[in-house]
Amino acid sequence: MPKSKFLPRGRKDRTAVLVDIRPTKSAKACDIFLQVRPGKDFELITILRALIKDQKVSEEAVAETGVSLEQCNDLVDRMKKAKFGCMFFGMGLSMTRGKHMNSAALLTLATEMNAFTKFVAMPMRGHGNVTGADVVMRWQTGYPFGITFNRGYPRYNPGEFSTVDVLVRGDTDAAFIIGADPGATMPQPAIDHLARIPTIVLDPHITHTSKLSRVHITTSVAGISAPGTAYRMDEIPLPLKPALKSPYPTDEEVVRRIKDAIAKKRFWMPEGEQMITAQI
Amino acid sequence: MLRITGGKIFDPANGIDGEVRELCVSDGKFAASVDGGRTIDAAGMIVFPGGVDVHTHVAGGAINFARAMTPEDHRRTQAFIRSQSRRSGLGGMAPTTFATGYLYAGMGWTTVNEAAVPVLSARHTHEELGDIPIVDKATCVLMANNEIVLDLLENGEYERAKNVVAWYIWAAKSYGVKAVNPGGVAAWKWGKDAKQLTSAIEGYSKLTPGDIVTQLAMICDDLGLPHPMHLHCNNLGAPGNISTTLDTLQHLEGHRAHIAHSQYHAYGGDDWDEMRSETVQLAEYFNTHPNITTDAGAVLFGDTVTITADGPWQHLLYKLTGRKWGNLDIENETGCGIVPYTYRPSNLVNAIQWAVGLELLLLIKNPWQVFLSTDHPNGGCFWRYPEIIQLLMCADFRNECLTKLPDKIKGRITLPELDREYTLYEIATAMSAGPARALGLHQKGNLGVGCDADIVIYEEDDDVARMFSHPRYVIKGGEIVIEDGDIRATPDGQEFIVKPSYDPGTDEFLQPLFEDCYTMAFENYPVEMERMENPDIRDCVPNS
Ligand SMILES: [Zn+2]
Repeated sequence: MPKSKFLPRGRKDRTAVLVDIRPTKSAKACDIFLQVRPGKDFELITILRALIKDQKVSEEAVAETGVSLEQCNDLVDRMKKAKFGCMFFGMGLSMTRGKHMNSAALLTLATEMNAFTKFVAMPMRGHGNVTGADVVMRWQTGYPFGITFNRGYPRYNPGEFSTVDVLVRGDTDAAFIIGADPGATMPQPAIDHLARIPTIVLDPHITHTSKLSRVHITTSVAGISAPGTAYRMDEIPLPLKPALKSPYPTDEEVVRRIKDAIAKKRFWMPEGEQMITAQI
Repeated sequence: MLRITGGKIFDPANGIDGEVRELCVSDGKFAASVDGGRTIDAAGMIVFPGGVDVHTHVAGGAINFARAMTPEDHRRTQAFIRSQSRRSGLGGMAPTTFATGYLYAGMGWTTVNEAAVPVLSARHTHEELGDIPIVDKATCVLMANNEIVLDLLENGEYERAKNVVAWYIWAAKSYGVKAVNPGGVAAWKWGKDAKQLTSAIEGYSKLTPGDIVTQLAMICDDLGLPHPMHLHCNNLGAPGNISTTLDTLQHLEGHRAHIAHSQYHAYGGDDWDEMRSETVQLAEYFNTHPNITTDAGAVLFGDTVTITADGPWQHLLYKLTGRKWGNLDIENETGCGIVPYTYRPSNLVNAIQWAVGLELLLLIKNPWQVFLSTDHPNGGCFWRYPEIIQLLMCADFRNECLTKLPDKIKGRITLPELDREYTLYEIATAMSAGPARALGLHQKGNLGVGCDADIVIYEEDDDVARMFSHPRYVIKGGEIVIEDGDIRATPDGQEFIVKPSYDPGTDEFLQPLFEDCYTMAFENYPVEMERMENPDIRDCVPNS
């Protein structure tokens, strides 16, 4: 862990607290581990929000979270004494009972902590360059994911236009998948639809999705044999510098060639207005 | 090749004020004459050099965070529909990249300066700028809260600080230096701010914001950067901050500088209830100090999203509004805060801000010193500039708007007493020739032979706002990009960068410091030249 002017001893100057439903490997790497009962994240966060403002909380409510009042008070005390606090949260919060309400509660706690000291919160992202996809989609379309272009301009509605929803409804008649393996993680109806329609996969490896696809184009691995940029989860861009040569083309090259070939075909949208001044 | 005949030319860089002249364009630049090519009959039309935005936020981590925070605005705003030659996009408070290019070009602006780039995420900013079509771009890199630079200044190592700043500018592939709330953003890492120019900054024993202001301005001058230090003063937005601003200006005595969005720095009174305009004092300073330029940072009523590296101010704004708040901290360098905001004419503070922006534009006599800006998107969105032009050119319209402000504003603003109306020549100066000169981009904002053929042609119209929102033609680098409201071409713009010279030992000095404090490898930090799309390295003229 990096040292700094203000934390000259690196890790030793930092306190790490893990909150999870079971003691994972990360617990060993942390100074304090708090075991919360499954599905009680929202309650625990709300109790912490009350405690930082010196509000009373009922003993029973605290007990239900699996974390003791003493532990909560100790945590609040440490948080307030910190010079710079950071909360990281992941799918244990955003994909369990309460979902985005849990994330919202945590973000509110971080916001409210700024009345006492500097505090921030940041989602932990999944494998690969998820953040990069999110960042580029935002600058090009305004939205991070769940986007449709079916009217010729970007529209956003997670739950309607997210990949899984489009597939489950059977709303798409072709799929083009780059560097992802939905065949391994998505619900069966979505996977069934991918197998039904022409699915094209660009991937350096054989995957669940590549096996059910009509076309699999093997591409070189970004960061090993293909250059590019990966965005760290705090949205800092890191250059990828290839160390090896690959006989396979890069994703970028394949996409570019497909795009050029499509450009030679008749354009799918009818000629119309260049712009609409208001969408509703 | 292109010839434009019969138009009334407004070219302040060459002192041409509405004369009917012919313009010839060859190879993207103005020429003395051309043979063949298209001729545009501009009889009855008005010809300006393409607009230049000296201070805007259109690309990078901060505006992209603002986009993420405002899907409700994207959903209601204007949408550009894709075609075979044009990408889709959304306008609104924080437009997407392709739309940003279309919207700027659509109202005749052809060069923009992205005013706040952290070195650590400069690669991101350049990737976004590469996706903004048509306009040319420059960037300013954030330096006034960089801990390595601050440590050097604290220890009195000016020469080394100068080398390090030059190294950073080149590492970020930037064009100029931006200072935001000097010392205050560094202090914000501790939840603190820096409001006094002469008090030591949190975490330092003697370094003050005033020291940073003076020495960074000196560094920019000594490196011979084409654009002087671009300064966002301490104490932004706070009642009574006029004293901080004047104090800051005194720290700049003898140097060039550009003061960003002066509107936010010209308030009197001790608290929000007592707040009043202090533009007379501030304008007087500019009127007697031609070494300093500024942009208005004018406010327009309506919805927007505020984004600034000034993290502590944004936390205060969040507390005042109770609306969404986003905060980013960039390790060792800077930070940023984001808060959606609505300026209302019925709100006394907002009404004063609206008046202050216009007062500065009207009270600073020399249009070569004060430029059109809203600090997009902070005071309003850039695509609303024609509304400001109308307010500047029509005193009657201004007076009509004044009647909608709260009664309590009487005695707190100067605007009702001002009857100045901008001429077309002055508008051309404040929107193009002036900012181009302040940026040191002498090939811009100038219709002279050899300069870049960036032109905007308006159909003369009594409705000033309509005239400036809908140019008849916009020409970028000699190519017609907008004709009658239609996007005709979307060429890639250039990016202006500089390579100030620095001691070759600077890498060796920085590497160990960097490896101690940063979470990125030193080798990965500088933006590689290969990643720049259409870079144009401009000259520095160092002080010898
Ligand atoms: Zn700004």
